[in-house]
Amino acid sequence: MSVIEIKNLVKIYNGSAVQVTAVNGVDLTIEKGEFTAIVGPSGSGKTTLLNMIGGLDSPTSGTIVVDKTDLSTLNKRQLVDYRLNNIGFVFQAYNLIPVLTAKENVSFIMEMQGAKKDAITQRTKEILESVGLGDRLNSRPNQLSGGQQQRVAVARALASKPKFVIADEPTANLDSKSTENLLDIMEELNKKENTTFIFSTHDQRVVNKARRVIVLEDGKIVKDERRG
Amino acid sequence: MRKQMIISISWKNVWRNKKRSLIVICAVLLGTIAGVFTSGIMKGWVQQRIDSVIYTEVSHLKIHNPDYLLNEELAYTVPDQSGIEKYLKSDQNILAFSKRVKIMTMASTSTGSSAIMLNGIQIEDEKAVSKVWKKIVSGGGEYLNNLSKNQIVISDKTAEQLRIKNFKVTSEVIDSLKRLEVPASTIEKLSNIENIRYKTAKLFKNELKTLLSKKENKEYGKQIFNASVHYRLRSKIVFTFNDTNGKLVYQTFRVCGIYKTQNTMFDQMNAFVVKDDIAPLAGFSDNSYHEIAVIAHEEKDIDELKSEIKTQFPELSVLSWKDLAPDAAMMTDFMGIWYAIIMGIILFALAFGIINTMLMAILERVKELGMLMAIGMNKKRVFRMIMYETVFLTLVGAFGGMVIGALLIGFTGHTGLDFSSVSEGLEAIGYSAIIFPEIDPGFFFLVTLLVIGTGILSSIIPARKALKLNPVEAIRTE
Repeated sequence: MSVIEIKNLVKIYNGSAVQVTAVNGVDLTIEKGEFTAIVGPSGSGKTTLLNMIGGLDSPTSGTIVVDKTDLSTLNKRQLVDYRLNNIGFVFQAYNLIPVLTAKENVSFIMEMQGAKKDAITQRTKEILESVGLGDRLNSRPNQLSGGQQQRVAVARALASKPKFVIADEPTANLDSKSTENLLDIMEELNKKENTTFIFSTHDQRVVNKARRVIVLEDGKIVKDERRG
Repeated sequence: MRKQMIISISWKNVWRNKKRSLIVICAVLLGTIAGVFTSGIMKGWVQQRIDSVIYTEVSHLKIHNPDYLLNEELAYTVPDQSGIEKYLKSDQNILAFSKRVKIMTMASTSTGSSAIMLNGIQIEDEKAVSKVWKKIVSGGGEYLNNLSKNQIVISDKTAEQLRIKNFKVTSEVIDSLKRLEVPASTIEKLSNIENIRYKTAKLFKNELKTLLSKKENKEYGKQIFNASVHYRLRSKIVFTFNDTNGKLVYQTFRVCGIYKTQNTMFDQMNAFVVKDDIAPLAGFSDNSYHEIAVIAHEEKDIDELKSEIKTQFPELSVLSWKDLAPDAAMMTDFMGIWYAIIMGIILFALAFGIINTMLMAILERVKELGMLMAIGMNKKRVFRMIMYETVFLTLVGAFGGMVIGALLIGFTGHTGLDFSSVSEGLEAIGYSAIIFPEIDPGFFFLVTLLVIGTGILSSIIPARKALKLNPVEAIRTE
């Protein structure tokens, strides 16, 4: 079952002097439960593509259909709701709320969705235990290591059981041990909860773990490989 | 999203940069103290003026023959005297009333003369409506009593004009100065003028200037001056006036007491005698009078009471204190606006600091705000989060300021604030030189509302800045 269907997607940035085509006619279908890495050199259009899938940026032409909803038909307010209810985001720099504890950071999205208090408490505990931070529920981000912070970010992205998770260079700021650990956790959650993951990455270790690798060059898909 | 979550984040955000937040909080705290305390002084000042207006000058209501108000002639006494008296006695809203005979006279002593309104009163009735009997100055004798005839209570100001107030350094004065810890060397200098009587304040002040050094005069001059005041009690004053037939009448009264209120104009004009000592001489019957001063149980009932009496006795003039002292009445009405103006100006000035701080906070948090918007926080919630944060920042300082301001008012309301360096100016317009600040509890409600309003308004600019952020660009910000 496909979660995301992208057809002939184009994104052109009109600079003051030059026109840059960041994404140039991408056709792509992401299936439920896929663990996909989008790779390519800097400027190849990875982040632009993820931003458009995430509803943060709008395409110049082409369509993105998520679960039968064409994103181009949504207004700004609807796009905010779309992001809240369908996508989990993991950022390169963790981007946790510094004044909140790990537990509060994780429950934040569910709070915004208006979930019931008991359900939030239970899910928060469960997901933080899944990422190995069951004993750090009340720690603030500044009391956690980089790897631990990114695990909280993964827990936050997955807590509300989104249709898919977008992770933009999630391991770029981590050492190799933390990277391995984080990838194991994400892989396990992908299998356990059947969550769809889409990464943009330069990191070969992420590529090695991915079951589908899409290579972008100059805004075009030059390779789309499924493994195992 | 649960409101508590946003409130909790906003509250925690206030304390993210403690130093910066504390600076703004301190500014709001000081501003609020200033606003609360200034309003307290103003309120105390006006309230004292109103108390003075009601309880020494005009009482709650005054009833006259309407012609008396146009021309203060002896003949214009209150008509239907027994009817109005009976009515006032039976009205449940009335606490007390006092009937007065008022005669314009020329008072003279061997050394001075002055025009004075003689108020012929019945002692117990008058004590129930006017506090003049409580305003007898120290060393100024006592209020009227029924034991001796032809006694008079005059004001300190009148005593000065009639040269009944003198200055003399006696052994008692020296003893009292020693108790006031005036240095022995200064007191020593005063022995040169011991028991010499100075007829006017000016002569005595000049003497002190030549006797004492500039520094001594500055530090102890006022104490010496006040301690040396000497009233020549039992002095005779001759009053000249026309009786009801137009015949010139003379009557001598002996000074038994000297009073001083906070209104020099009132003091200068009024002296008090027992009605029976003056009325027959002026040609009045036992039950003739020019004025009835009325004190009600509740001040709020005054207007109703006034119209009731007017309806019952249309031939009489009934005036409330608001009619007789419109300046004081206007001040009362103005108080609410005054509070709002003072606090409004202070908070308006503070708003710039608050906006600046919040803008800095937003600029520091661009990446975080971008993330919040990216993961699905809508504009309404972002705005609310920033608004709560601004309101908290303002409210914390304002709350502290209100508490400290209230304590300050509580303390100074007990001890009083001495403005005697400008007392002559204040007393000339009927205001006390010692102010006891006070405040309505409702004022704090007004301040809280104003502070919340300031917080909300101050949050608009920073919030707009935040809402203009593009999440994609904001997340990439370093």
